[in-house]
Amino acid sequence: MTPDLASRSPAALGIKGLTKRYGDGTLAVENLDLEVPAGSFFGLLGPNGAGKTTLIGAVCNLIRITSGEVSVFGNSATSMKARRMIGIAEQEPNLDKFLTVYETLLYHGGYYGMDQAEADERAGQMIDAFDLSDKRDVEAPKLSGGMRRRLLLARALLHRPNLVILDEPTAGVDLELRHELWSYIRKLHEQGTTILLTTHYLEEAESLCDEIALISGGRIIARDSAEGLKRSHGAETLEQVYLKTVAGGRIGLAAEAERQARSRDMDPMDLGDEPE
Amino acid sequence: MTPLPPSEVEPHPWRGLAWLTRRECHRVLKLWKQTILAPVIAALLFMVVFGLSLGNSITEINGFEYSVYIVPGLIAMAMAQAAYSNNSSTIFQARNDRYLDDILSAPMSAWQVHLGYLVGGAMRSLAIGGALTALALPLTGVPISHPVELIVAVLLLTTAFCALGVIVGVYAQSWDNQSFINNIVILPLIFLGGVFYSVSRLGSPWEQISHFNPLFYVVDAVRFGFLGASDVAPLVSLSVVGVITLLLLAWSQYLFSTGHRLKP
Repeated sequence: MTPDLASRSPAALGIKGLTKRYGDGTLAVENLDLEVPAGSFFGLLGPNGAGKTTLIGAVCNLIRITSGEVSVFGNSATSMKARRMIGIAEQEPNLDKFLTVYETLLYHGGYYGMDQAEADERAGQMIDAFDLSDKRDVEAPKLSGGMRRRLLLARALLHRPNLVILDEPTAGVDLELRHELWSYIRKLHEQGTTILLTTHYLEEAESLCDEIALISGGRIIARDSAEGLKRSHGAETLEQVYLKTVAGGRIGLAAEAERQARSRDMDPMDLGDEPE
Repeated sequence: MTPLPPSEVEPHPWRGLAWLTRRECHRVLKLWKQTILAPVIAALLFMVVFGLSLGNSITEINGFEYSVYIVPGLIAMAMAQAAYSNNSSTIFQARNDRYLDDILSAPMSAWQVHLGYLVGGAMRSLAIGGALTALALPLTGVPISHPVELIVAVLLLTTAFCALGVIVGVYAQSWDNQSFINNIVILPLIFLGGVFYSVSRLGSPWEQISHFNPLFYVVDAVRFGFLGASDVAPLVSLSVVGVITLLLLAWSQYLFSTGHRLKP
């Protein structure tokens, strides 16, 4: 998107003063402000429990926020119009166990307002795009982990949302599928779709995202391009920035030393493999 | 494959409601042996076994043979249990496996999601009621004396138990919770509500105590529709069932409108 167009468009995601305190008293997010420009590929990085999933839940109408405002392309996040514009692939596979792959996509299209013919056509397109043809009539619980992940992404993208939220989309996914998925998501972004990505794979975030926000303790603690973050924190890698900021420097040196020792005989993509 | 750019299509919440209703009916029909056939067979067995075994010793109640007298109550019981268990299990499962998120984040208003779930349970309940009625008519010769009152009673009964199922499905922490309500609350109250007897035969004070059982009015309203005979005036029983239905509907709608227990 050109800077001129971006400056005139409402933000894809606007969050003002978002606070969420859960019933048990846990303050997950406190007075958080965030603006994701339309057309951007935006990364949200942070440790487990930092507030990423809470923030996504607030955007997608999946949690009851304590206070604040959330808007999607200028519309309140709770409005029908905003909800129509969002597609979400959640971290944990949450697929309807009574539906096949085809039915999962068909019904999702229906929930998002498509008629039978439109939903059927889109379901077929997504089955082809995500190489799910062989599993078309298989029920979700019988799919492998990788196939479930494909189906989650296909479902998120089926209604052609303007803002796609990917919450750890490649966790537990093999390298080949990860590259396929990112290739598709990149093309989607080039077509004008705004992407909000959370991931533990820092290399992914660095190579994909125009801008990255680091979140910790329910607050945004840094935000810039990957290069900008490295420059402003005097770091060589995004991982060093992450450890300095998110971990407050307390475990930074120890973790970096451990990482270097491990990286001699481990795939660097294994970083952050712990479950959320 | 090259992805398509974002769509500019406006949301169609009514289509969402239609698809959610279709999904709920799809689930019922996919599990038809469990959701429809089993309850029909169970209720038929009650009719045959109780009608035959007690029919000889209890000559008639309120002018009807015993095998005929118990039919409306057994149909009401099967329909109530089906509506309740359908909605409590479908909501609990959707919450537990978190595929409810796909519906809660979709462009549908709270009342549309609520209605979609209610219709699914109602479809199952009405299918069972219709099948049992079709079988009971030739088997027992049960009459349909007041069809309008019967339809009103059946719709109220179905709606009330669908809403109760939604409420329990939302609050349940485990499968045990929802079966507990069915086995420890609904079933005993229906049995004590006069499925197999007229509460007027109980004598004081049990007859009066039975009038505090809300399910007595459900059974009595359906019985009036079939037989034209009842323990209380049909206007009273339909009014009580109507009020219960409204209260349960208001509660289940509150849960969807506020997201209480559906959204953290």
